[in-house]
Amino acid sequence: MIPFQFITAFLMMAIGIYAFLYKRNLIKLILALNIIDSGIHLLLVSLGYRMELNEPPTAPIYTGYETLKSAMVGPLPQALVLTSIVIGVCVLALAMALTINAYRHYGTLDVRALRRLRG
Amino acid sequence: MFGYWDALYFVFIFIIGLILAWLLNEWAKKSGMGTRETGDGTKIFISGEDPDKVVPGFEHLEGHFTGKNVMWGLTYALKRFFRVLRDDHTGLLTDYVSYLLITTGFVLGVILIWG
Amino acid sequence: MNGEAILPYLIIIPLFGAFAMPIVSLAGKKAREAWAVIISALTLVVASAVFYHVWKTKEIIVYTLGAKTPFGQGVGFPIRIVWEVDLFGAIMVLTVAFVSLMAVLYSLGYMKHDTGLEKYYTLILILELGMLGIAITGDLFNFYVFLEIMSIASYALVAFRNDTWEGIEAGVKYMFVGSIAGSFILLGIALLYGQYGTLTMGYIAVKIAENPTVTAKVALALFIAGLLFKSGASPVHMWLADAHPAAPSSISAMLSGLVIKVGGIYAMARILFSIYSPMAHSIVLKAYLQPYINMSAIGWLIIIFASLTLIIGNAMAVIQTDMKRLLAYSSVGQIGYILLGLGIGLAAYGTQTGEVALAGAIYHTVNHAIMKALLFLVAGVVIHEVGTRNLNELSGLAKTMPKTTFAFLIGAAAIVGLPPLNGFASKWLIYESSAVFNPVLGAIAIIGTAFCTAAYVRVLYTFFGRPSERVANARDPETSMMLPMLLLVLAIVIMGLLPWQISDKVMIPTARMLEQFKFEYINALMSLAGGA
Repeated sequence: MIPFQFITAFLMMAIGIYAFLYKRNLIKLILALNIIDSGIHLLLVSLGYRMELNEPPTAPIYTGYETLKSAMVGPLPQALVLTSIVIGVCVLALAMALTINAYRHYGTLDVRALRRLRG
Repeated sequence: MFGYWDALYFVFIFIIGLILAWLLNEWAKKSGMGTRETGDGTKIFISGEDPDKVVPGFEHLEGHFTGKNVMWGLTYALKRFFRVLRDDHTGLLTDYVSYLLITTGFVLGVILIWG
Repeated sequence: MNGEAILPYLIIIPLFGAFAMPIVSLAGKKAREAWAVIISALTLVVASAVFYHVWKTKEIIVYTLGAKTPFGQGVGFPIRIVWEVDLFGAIMVLTVAFVSLMAVLYSLGYMKHDTGLEKYYTLILILELGMLGIAITGDLFNFYVFLEIMSIASYALVAFRNDTWEGIEAGVKYMFVGSIAGSFILLGIALLYGQYGTLTMGYIAVKIAENPTVTAKVALALFIAGLLFKSGASPVHMWLADAHPAAPSSISAMLSGLVIKVGGIYAMARILFSIYSPMAHSIVLKAYLQPYINMSAIGWLIIIFASLTLIIGNAMAVIQTDMKRLLAYSSVGQIGYILLGLGIGLAAYGTQTGEVALAGAIYHTVNHAIMKALLFLVAGVVIHEVGTRNLNELSGLAKTMPKTTFAFLIGAAAIVGLPPLNGFASKWLIYESSAVFNPVLGAIAIIGTAFCTAAYVRVLYTFFGRPSERVANARDPETSMMLPMLLLVLAIVIMGLLPWQISDKVMIPTARMLEQFKFEYINALMSLAGGA
């Protein structure tokens, strides 16, 4: 059986793609971008989750490692997701800045208005 | 199977071509009617069109756009092809995304079936 | 000289330079410009040293971040981030550093009238840093991080002139679709990590060869789609034609010359040849009747995209009236040639045809970086002097700007592939191998060149035509803008005069190293296992 986190992750990506195809507002597109990113982050984090002896895992903190009963979650996916979140914030900030500038030049946030470049 | 080239040969051929062009030019000067050193005859003709001649009703096009007509035959012959390509580039963000998705789907299909 | 010792400076110098830029620029305009030039020149020195080392020893440099060996204590697989530089990576490093230095030099004159220049130079150095990182990395997530660094810097630089609607619109389109493509690549990396539990490229290659699963294939599809977008192949080339003309010309030169090569072509070659090792899949596993990934089908897939790109890109260049847009479409067309070489190298893997095609692709990558940088710099000079890039208004530039026109003539002749300039050599390798591989592909390549010639002949006729009033006051630009163009022209002519030597001494060994018949890329990593 596929774990439900994976299904949720792919569902989130699908929602983002849907929004990109059918929504016209630039702010909504930024949100869609973030939803896609979050979906991938969810997938990555849930890759590190593992059950041992029917105990839920704990955070990967190595002090007092010997006294732990259960397994730890994989630390690498968490590091990856942290890095990826930082990248996502960069993209978000730049996208917002561009959207503000687009509003200044075009007077609208409708993506259909941004089509002077073509041909 | 794979031949190589030597740049030096092409330099030689280029020089020979220059000499031929110069000879042709000399011959044309001697025997032609239109090409003179001075006066009206110095005009250069591209595709037989006199650049100084003003066509009534087309004064605004006069003379400034020498590159436009050079590939006229090609663009006219492939008019439909170019129109399809031009119309395809809609400039809509949504279309760009859908092309990316179509490409991904195609690649995925090919790799899953034949890969 | 030790290659591993100098490799980190390739990242350290531009990184330090970029983030020290706002502080340095407090000291004034001169200090800022000098700092940008010094940093990019130092990077070029380090890049040349790295290239010379790899070329001389023909060995792959493996550098581990923060430790002596990538292997952890008591575990048999690499756990640390590694950088691996083979000859292809070293060539890309050298090209990136050279063209970036030219772009920075050119910016001194070209961007003189703009404001916010400390941000501009910071971004340009970050862009260079991202590309250098992609070229040297040997770790998948590290690759993604550098790819995003490069992409974010280029999104910001496309929209740098935010007082024009064009830059903003192009920036919005480039950024939104580019981020989705980046997400696809991240998804592919996540899938590979979930399946194989490692991120080191060389070790993933071992794991995939041991057990080629459907997940690996899906990840490969996501990588190919995302990187086709980043390299601007048809039918996802449209952002390129919008974004590259909108950027300032020095940035267009870097975007068209470098970003689509390093972020697209190089990354794709690295993933196809180093992670999905065709030696393992097409030859070894096939011979032992094990499950394998059919790499020649993937080669044909890339060939299909390459043919589309070749025809569409070059054909669209013919009907443009905007000079920079014409050059951008021409970039799309030339990417088609490079992809064609790459695809044949994969589809005809193990034969001499494949090797020559791959060498041609690598050669054309370098050549096109130099030629397209030159052409965009010329377009920038024209915009700077005349104030328009509409070809209808530019006729007769040859009279008033003879040196610029000469530079354009050399660049156009090289990109069309006229001997004895450098474009001929690489295109010839691609034509020849594609004609041997499949004559139809050779014919498609020739048709693409016909369109390319038509496009550039139009521009040249415009330049040499009858002078209009608009260009009467144009002059050849100042030295800081003329010098990079002159150096690029020199590079084109010199590389054109030594095609045989460059091909034999550099490009063929590079192709052989990339094909890794003896699993060099994997062995360079795994041989460190005993050292812990």
